[in-house]
Amino acid sequence: MANITPEEVIVTDFAVREHRSLWIDAWRRLISSNTARLGMFIVALFVLSAILAHYFWEYDPKVDLDYTLKLKPPTLVANEDVPSVHLFGTDKLGRDIFRRVVHGGWNSLRVGIVAVGISLTVGGLIGLFAGFYENINMTSLERIFLFGFTGLIMGILPAWAAAQPLQAVLMAGLGVAAAYFPNFHKDSINRLWIFAAAGGVVTAVPSLFAGSLVTLVCGVWGILTGALLSRPLEGKFFSNVMMRLMDIVLSFPGYLLAIAIVAFLGPGLEKGMIAIGIVSIPVYARLTRSAVLAVIQKEYILAAQAVGEKHGRIIFRHLTPNILSPIIVQTTMGLANAILSAAALGFLGLGAIPPEPEWGAMLGDSYRYLTSGAWWAVLFPGLAIMLSVLGFNLLGDGLRDALDPKLRT
Amino acid sequence: MSNYIIRRIISVLPTLIGVTFVIFMFQRLIPGDPAVAMLGEHATEESIERLREQFGLNRPLFLDREALADGDLAGFFDSQYVRYMKRLFSLDMGESIHRRIPVAETLAIRFPATIELALLSMFIAIIIGIPVGIISAAKRNSAIDSISMVGSLVGVSMPIFWLGLMEIMLFAVLMQWLPAGGRLGTGIEIKPITNLYLVDSLLMGNFQAFKDVFAHIIMPAIALATIPMGIIARMTRSSMLDVLQEDYVRTARAKGLGRGLVLFRHALKNASLPVVTIIGLQMGTLLAGAVLTETIFSWPGIGRWVYDGILGRDYPIVQGGTLVIALVFVGVNFFVDIMYALLDPRIRYD
Repeated sequence: MANITPEEVIVTDFAVREHRSLWIDAWRRLISSNTARLGMFIVALFVLSAILAHYFWEYDPKVDLDYTLKLKPPTLVANEDVPSVHLFGTDKLGRDIFRRVVHGGWNSLRVGIVAVGISLTVGGLIGLFAGFYENINMTSLERIFLFGFTGLIMGILPAWAAAQPLQAVLMAGLGVAAAYFPNFHKDSINRLWIFAAAGGVVTAVPSLFAGSLVTLVCGVWGILTGALLSRPLEGKFFSNVMMRLMDIVLSFPGYLLAIAIVAFLGPGLEKGMIAIGIVSIPVYARLTRSAVLAVIQKEYILAAQAVGEKHGRIIFRHLTPNILSPIIVQTTMGLANAILSAAALGFLGLGAIPPEPEWGAMLGDSYRYLTSGAWWAVLFPGLAIMLSVLGFNLLGDGLRDALDPKLRT
Repeated sequence: MSNYIIRRIISVLPTLIGVTFVIFMFQRLIPGDPAVAMLGEHATEESIERLREQFGLNRPLFLDREALADGDLAGFFDSQYVRYMKRLFSLDMGESIHRRIPVAETLAIRFPATIELALLSMFIAIIIGIPVGIISAAKRNSAIDSISMVGSLVGVSMPIFWLGLMEIMLFAVLMQWLPAGGRLGTGIEIKPITNLYLVDSLLMGNFQAFKDVFAHIIMPAIALATIPMGIIARMTRSSMLDVLQEDYVRTARAKGLGRGLVLFRHALKNASLPVVTIIGLQMGTLLAGAVLTETIFSWPGIGRWVYDGILGRDYPIVQGGTLVIALVFVGVNFFVDIMYALLDPRIRYD
């Protein structure tokens, strides 16, 4: 037996594994899953082809027109009838469908990203603040802001009725005062009476000039508002109002609401993005809020509060990173949904304005020629929609498994 | 329990008020003057003004400041919104601007058409989605599992209008097996009893008519069913997997019960709660989201009707149709919540 020198022994300490960050862990889990790899491949294919086509493959939809090539089936080699190669055939204006499908990807991705950006930013912020202040007491500065804002909103009606902005300012002031003196006649019915009376006075007196009935209506409104402001409004109030608003948006079916918003804004790709973005705000708001509620009682939040960190810092430095995983998953799947909704709007003629290439609009353009046998004009744009949506969904599925091993089933 | 139901009803009220408010805002914010839409481009100023007067379109939207300044309290509240709410409470939905048919009348015909389509789609989605989910969970990580899960993801990713077009191309244009659109073939009479034609034709005992109705409804129903099918299959699978890890399932297997018995008697029962929830939620989406399917198959339902109403500025239709859809939506969600509380005694709501 030969002597073994110490250098030849590879010491493996099985108790301590190499240090890896959570994200690297998640990434390894992600690329070890077949379906996630498939999803990544499809997404990469669409993203790359869209970007490359947009920057390196010139296409001007306004001059793309050739009636001699109207509705030709797909060809792989050039022949006498069709002198050029059309992988996916041509549409009713003789345009190459392959080219339009590839360029359409740019528009679909843009819609997806902008729409998800809108709903993620607005919905995410609403959810973050609603979930946070539902559980954490507001600081006096925040309470002043909340009360002042509530007063301002409530003061708009009397200000409008009496045709002068003074009441809104006075009501805001009353709100600030209510927040500034939270202990003034606390736990006593007197607080209610005092604030109600103050509210009545600050709205009724400035509207004396506008007529006696105006004074009466404003005064009643002011008394009610004053009574509301005398209550110890907390984050729960804010959260309730916000979530109720989200419920209202959610009680409209997505497509109809999007169609109505587009009808209001006018057709166009940009309007479509906004409509789809608005429609899915509540999804993100609810998701973020429930994610916040799941971690808000954790020790690190308590610790951050205990050392006196500012609320903004707790929200964005401690809370946000810890609720990222469900939001990343929802964002990926949201991209899929946005692409699908954009295609639906385009199909109904409410999305991209022709001749701009967009998958849904291409379908809507060509489906009347289905009965005359032009299947290629419908098949390929639809396949592009389905595959890209499937890609994002597969990726989102894989991300869910990778980011949250507890959910792994 | 009844306490919970009452509190839940109260919490729905602000949502309902908000819904009516949003619907009101939409029909007023959509550009275009309804009076001009009604009379056409060539109407005289005078007749337009008279019509605006007649429909109250010359009133302010919410509150009348000038009436208040004049000391007229009733005039202060006499606005378009208040009139609209009054009409709602007296269940008067007005009549279509273009066709002059009462909205409620059209609704009574069109709403059952959408319901029939949605119910059949949901039926298809359930009888395929749930077994697929159960099998995937039982054969976890097998080839069957992977295939059916990717398959259900394809279902979720399906642009239903495209699937509908492909169906038409295959079965109506190429094979000529099924009609490409509509609800009823020519020359077939159905006595409307429930206005669900499948039920009506059976009630009449007319199997010829039933066959025809079925041939018309099956393609749109399948197109509409793909997305909920995928969602139900995935939900069933993950919920079953959760339950199959429980101790009582292991105990049942250990004491010698058969695999199938444990799967269906023990596991499925306890896994069904989230599945029932998702079915309820999808039902609302189906009822409402049928716009696209109805467009492609010229199905005379409510989604298509509202869509045409929005484009044609037919405000009463938009208002009545959206209201019914939103009410069904809110109602289904409410029902699901209550069912949840009834089905799962572990959940305490007070």
